Amino acid sequence: MTNDAKKDELLKKLADGVLKFEEEEVATAANEVLALGFDAYEAIMNGLAKGMEEAGRLYEEEEYFVPELLLCADALYAGLNILRPHVKIEDRQKSRGVVVIGTVQGDVHDIGKNLVKMMFEVAGFEVHDLGKDVPLEKFVEEQLKTNAELVCLSAMMTTSMLGMERIIKMIREKNPEVKIMIGGAPITQEVVKKFGADGTANSASNALREALKMVASLRKMG
Amino acid sequence: MSVGKTSREKVLELLNGKRNGELLCFSGMGNVTTEGMKQTGIRFAESHTDASKMAALAATTHKLFGFECAVIPFDVAIEAEIVGCPINFYTRSHPLEILYPTVKEKVIRSAGDIKLPSDLSRAGRVPLVTEALNLLSDDLKGAVAIGTYIMGPFTIAGQTMELSDLLKISLKKPEEVAEVLAVYTELVIQLAETYSAAGADYITIREMGACSDVLRPALFKQLVEPQLRRIFDQAPHPLVLHICGKSNGIMDSMNRVGAGALSVDQKNDLRETRKTIGPKPILLGNFDPFNILVKGTPSDVKRAVQECVNGGVDAVWPGCDIWPTVPTENMNALMQAVKNARKGRN
Ligand code: B12
Repeated sequence: MTNDAKKDELLKKLADGVLKFEEEEVATAANEVLALGFDAYEAIMNGLAKGMEEAGRLYEEEEYFVPELLLCADALYAGLNILRPHVKIEDRQKSRGVVVIGTVQGDVHDIGKNLVKMMFEVAGFEVHDLGKDVPLEKFVEEQLKTNAELVCLSAMMTTSMLGMERIIKMIREKNPEVKIMIGGAPITQEVVKKFGADGTANSASNALREALKMVASLRKMG
Repeated sequence: MSVGKTSREKVLELLNGKRNGELLCFSGMGNVTTEGMKQTGIRFAESHTDASKMAALAATTHKLFGFECAVIPFDVAIEAEIVGCPINFYTRSHPLEILYPTVKEKVIRSAGDIKLPSDLSRAGRVPLVTEALNLLSDDLKGAVAIGTYIMGPFTIAGQTMELSDLLKISLKKPEEVAEVLAVYTELVIQLAETYSAAGADYITIREMGACSDVLRPALFKQLVEPQLRRIFDQAPHPLVLHICGKSNGIMDSMNRVGAGALSVDQKNDLRETRKTIGPKPILLGNFDPFNILVKGTPSDVKRAVQECVNGGVDAVWPGCDIWPTVPTENMNALMQAVKNARKGRN
């Protein structure tokens, strides 16, 4: 087998392994990628991430549900943990950006937030997940600490949605450049405008698409 | 004809499967309003841990608007507390903030970790809820139906175990999840008996954690349906089964469990549902308690009531807890729209 054919086979194994949530197959293929001296970054983006994107598509078509996506994510992480330490320094700087994400205080609905988080990780963002029922100030502190370009707030209820407005104000005071995305059932374009956020999305993959646009515009400015 | 019957009798007739032609407006879930809080001077945050405040607040939606029930409790963490999860009541929050109690720490990992209390009537906030049921009975004197609710076994599992772990083992090792659910099913049945003995007229089993936004319908059928069947077979009726979130794909399962009435939220397509379950089962819900009742205008409310009725519901019943900040004019519009629709029907 030629080198290229072998590489393609491994990339496919990584993608399929994620899609069919076969953690061990993914780990084996990831180790083989390293043993044969193939590029770790390429294996992540064209192998693991491809599989996860396909999983996301199946979810939107109601072929997959939340449990399936969570298992795909486990397989993905099994591969990421092996490959990430071997990503070349120059590729690491290609990181799509740093994100802080969490579900706002008073709210424990975190299924949607976790899906959004997964998509960001797949796409190569560095994600700091604060979890659920997160005190408002914590978002501000974490943004300052990590110098995140993007803060993602999730809320499924009215009270937590109102908390978002306060978080946005606090973050803007300290750091007007940061992009802020909000999401969850009660969030509409009107709310985005009223609260002064930068955008919203009704699904995890749309969230990623929006985020990529925002980060790109930030970098053009900078 | 239903002349001379109390509101409570009419509600219970309907939940026992007898349609009497009169369109009713009530719920099996939370329905207190900030208007009720204002009138009684009770802060929402205090009402979860004080029986007299809970009972007084629960009666306000009937007293202020004519809503035909009083339902307690207001949060969904009672069961998790019973099996030992610490709860955050947000008692020190701002008085005007509506914060619902949440589970602070999920202490269960497998069926072996679950210890059901030897005396359920004294566990967690069960004594508080039963006392509030007693107080409500004294207050309403049999004129208005008193409802309560219990989470379904899968939802309790999600409240007491790491949710992502629960969801993953549901696929990988369903037999382990079945063991957990069997224990919680026992808890639900005992709790229903306790509430019923304390004066609850009807009980709603809320299994929103297993809706099809989260779980594959085939897994609902395999894991959740058998447990619900046991509950509806053994617990005291009338019992309503409620699922908010996507539910059309699990309607046949829901219909098989033996509920007195089925309740869904606005994500359900009522006409599809009727095709699945036929004309006989009592169907409730579909009325959007937030985007319409809280955020809409009175004319949105009227339109939505008519759409629910046209869709084939047997009572106007919000698809989930009413969010407390509902404007007074919308509550009034709701009750007025039901009255008008009632005339239209008769
Ligand atoms: C499952 C569920 C629960 C579970 C949550 C488990 C968990 N750990 O998450 C439990 C049982 C714990 C629960 C509790 C309660 N719930 Co609940 N719950 C639901 C339900 C059925 C599904 C939510 C869900 O997970 N959907 C699936 C996910 C994948 O979708 P999603 O969250 O919308 O996320 C997607 C998008 O919104 C977007 N997104 C999400 N976040 C973000 C963030 C960003 C930045 C972006 C860009 C995008 C984005 O992408 C996601 C992926 O596709 C909804 C009903 C519904 N119709 O939505 C009610 C619902 C959210 N609950 C509701 C209520 C009222 C409650 C309770 C207050 C009930 C009570 N009496 O106590 C408590 C809340 C306690 C608290 N303080 O938090 C109401 C909220 C009403 C309102 N507007 O205020 C809802 C809408 C039900 C209804 N029809 O009224 N609930």
